[in-house]
Amino acid sequence: MSGYFRTSYLQDTALLDTRAQKAWFGAFAIALCTYPFLAGPLWLDLGNQVLLASIGAVALMLLTGYAGQISLGHAGLLAAGAFTTGILSKEFGASPWLTLPASAAVGAVLGLIFGLPSLRLRGLYLAVSTLALHFIVIFLGGEYETRRGFSTGIVIEPPIGSARGWYFALLAAAAITLLIALNLLRSRTGRAWRAIHGREAVAEALGISVQRAKLSAFVVSSSLTALAGCLFAYYRGFVSAEAFSLYLTIQYVAMIIIGGMGSILGAVLGTVFVVLFPYAIDGGMALVGLSERLSSVVFAVNYSAFGLVMILFLVFEPQGLVGLWRRVQNWFLLWPFKQGRLLK
Amino acid sequence: MTPLLRLEKVEVTYHHVITAIQGVTLEVAEGSIVALLGTNGAGKTTTLRAISGFIGLDDARISDGSITYRGQRVDNRPPQRITSLGIALVPERSKVFEGLTVDENLEAAVPRRGARFGKALVYEHFPALAHLRRREAGYLSGGERQMLGIGSALMCAPELLLVDELSLGLAPLAVEELGRALRGIRERLGTSLLVVEQNAHVALDLADYAYVIENGRIVLDGTPERLRAHQDVREFYLGAGGGERRRSYRDVKQYRRSRRWYG
Amino acid sequence: MQLAVNIAVLASIYALICCGYVLIYRVSRVLSLAHGELMMLGAYGLYTTASLFTGHPLLALVAAAALALIAGVAVYLAMMWRMTGESVLAAVLATIALGILLRGAMILVFGTQTQYPLRDLGWSNASVPVFAARISAAGLALVLATATVYAGLFTFLRWTRWGIRMRAAGQHPLLAAQRGIGLHGVYALAWGLATFTGGMAGMLIACDAGLEGTLVIIGLKAFPAALVGGLDSLLGALIGSIVVAAAEVLLIHHVDPLLSDVVPFAVLLAMLAVRPWGLFGTREELDRV
Repeated sequence: MSGYFRTSYLQDTALLDTRAQKAWFGAFAIALCTYPFLAGPLWLDLGNQVLLASIGAVALMLLTGYAGQISLGHAGLLAAGAFTTGILSKEFGASPWLTLPASAAVGAVLGLIFGLPSLRLRGLYLAVSTLALHFIVIFLGGEYETRRGFSTGIVIEPPIGSARGWYFALLAAAAITLLIALNLLRSRTGRAWRAIHGREAVAEALGISVQRAKLSAFVVSSSLTALAGCLFAYYRGFVSAEAFSLYLTIQYVAMIIIGGMGSILGAVLGTVFVVLFPYAIDGGMALVGLSERLSSVVFAVNYSAFGLVMILFLVFEPQGLVGLWRRVQNWFLLWPFKQGRLLK
Repeated sequence: MTPLLRLEKVEVTYHHVITAIQGVTLEVAEGSIVALLGTNGAGKTTTLRAISGFIGLDDARISDGSITYRGQRVDNRPPQRITSLGIALVPERSKVFEGLTVDENLEAAVPRRGARFGKALVYEHFPALAHLRRREAGYLSGGERQMLGIGSALMCAPELLLVDELSLGLAPLAVEELGRALRGIRERLGTSLLVVEQNAHVALDLADYAYVIENGRIVLDGTPERLRAHQDVREFYLGAGGGERRRSYRDVKQYRRSRRWYG
Repeated sequence: MQLAVNIAVLASIYALICCGYVLIYRVSRVLSLAHGELMMLGAYGLYTTASLFTGHPLLALVAAAALALIAGVAVYLAMMWRMTGESVLAAVLATIALGILLRGAMILVFGTQTQYPLRDLGWSNASVPVFAARISAAGLALVLATATVYAGLFTFLRWTRWGIRMRAAGQHPLLAAQRGIGLHGVYALAWGLATFTGGMAGMLIACDAGLEGTLVIIGLKAFPAALVGGLDSLLGALIGSIVVAAAEVLLIHHVDPLLSDVVPFAVLLAMLAVRPWGLFGTREELDRV
């Protein structure tokens, strides 16, 4: 673009290279840290939800956006992490120091299982197999609930009390996840994932073990997702199978689609959009004065609006918010020249 | 007399940056058989695709020039529109529906509005197909497939039939039969033909008029007699002409060829 | 014997819904996961026409069927035709999003109470004896409807000109377009027929057991039946439905009633592990992404 050249490996592998990027990042970090002290309780809770969801979204982006393995079983993996946490803390009184790694381990094992079909199937059939596995996991969770008498769900003691405390814990978790993701993507593994997304046969010819790449994508992604599930269980203080429906999976898929596939920034933008969306709808309804009339069916309004927005994005902006962002960027960069028929 | 089809300086670009053909000007007179001759990658299939409207695939566009059919502009029009005007294409590969029988393949084609075309007519021109009515198209031999491809295109009752790679992969006898059938079709139905060919012998035997395309441009045109006498055509396309080693036109530098033409 | 009757009814439900999945997939290579919601739309259509045309139950039925057909065509024309160029995943997600939109819209328009359209139609769901077992009138109607629909579809696709054209469009869309077959028309017809059969299933189930939100889950459970049979084979859909319905009914009866929701997916997984393209599907489908 401009005259910025990299002259050493250190520069090349750095996450933030230019002075300007570091300055922006510094400002952003400061803003993030002061947010909990400035925001009201609703906005703080929203921030927590966004941070929590972003972990799952980044995990899904790694699997589907980068490695190209379609998975519709995301809610099942979240449930696995949540249930592991619930079972361990209820039956054995385990502390978070145990449940966190345990959830990650369970996620990894499940990832292996979810990933096995990907060795034989692609695309639609892979999506369907992950869907089937999701239903089986949910069924098992439900069975556990009924057998052990937790018909309404498992109640857990959250280790952190205040919303602000949660904010910083979740911020740390999200930051670590982002760091893991970004570094993985720049490593051999990440490049292998991108290769198998592009053309499996060519990747194989280049010496990349397609099997290992696929399974590693599933294992890493599922592990992170189960961790998110564990945090989810602690944040809510409550674990029940009904919370992990197909709709939850679709919301995560929407996050990566609306955000823009193949970009971590997209995962984050998509998360913000999808988490904030129902509240925006609520606010919109209040503005228009419909909220009392439709209060009993507000979830239906959310449903319809969500479906509609997803369709609009799929039809009109397949590259998602990141695509929009890049077009805005290009407009500024190229001004006063017009974008015209730029090569994609 | 106005030609049935006229291409005027047509240029086709892929992905906005790759020019596949440039400045292509050719005509098909009504009731004539015209051959478009060239080697691999010369741009023949692109030309046919541009005419038939199936240019949108592979992100291609007619970026310059015009294609006129019976006085109407047909460049960059939707393909169904062009088919309904009377131009049918027999593509290079996959020209039949593999899972359907021969009969069903013929039934599947939608005839042009107002035109009546029966399967019987197709079986008249291609008697070999008549024995294979119930055979699934996937099990046909190469020659039979080509016949079926042309036959199903004929079911659309076209005025202009575009055939891509008439003789590719076929035995000489099969090609002869096809040539006879095509001439018969021209005689009985008045269909005009634009045939793309790599094999110069086949092309020059069949056509009334021929164009030679190289690197996306028309370099030569004329009646088969004139082309057969032309030194370049003899050397590069017919394998005759001076020299022990057959050379490709790409081997001979352009200026030397021009000298030969002018000097 | 009663088990056999139950299997027959359940298999009919699955088969009616499955032929929608198969039709759309075979013709346009799109997997429509909105089918459960479209089924419910059909049922609500019947509820609406039953309330509108009280005293004329046959008219209500016909009107509801016509509505379902039109709704399917409308869905294609409004939305799905734009997805014809995009990747398959995008198209599938679009159908999922459509399902979500429809479900929300239906709750907004019709509320969440359980409805009983059969009562509104003025008919009763009598229990009919069949050999040593009993079957409800609606159940019998389901079995008969499935048989008729499948016979009709087989005939249409095999013997009529437009049926051949639909098959051609499914096999090789580009060549079909080159031969003058209007792809949009064919796809719209597929969607219309699929919604019609799914809507019919929804209507009959609503007559049998009442119309409520859980109807949608049946649509999702029918999906493994389509896959087990092979996504592009109508015969496969029929056989697959029988297999899945048999597994479900037998396991519920002999093992555990709570298994009903998960059995179809377990069968699906088993099939995917052994023979991913289903019993009667064509093998090459695997490589499409």
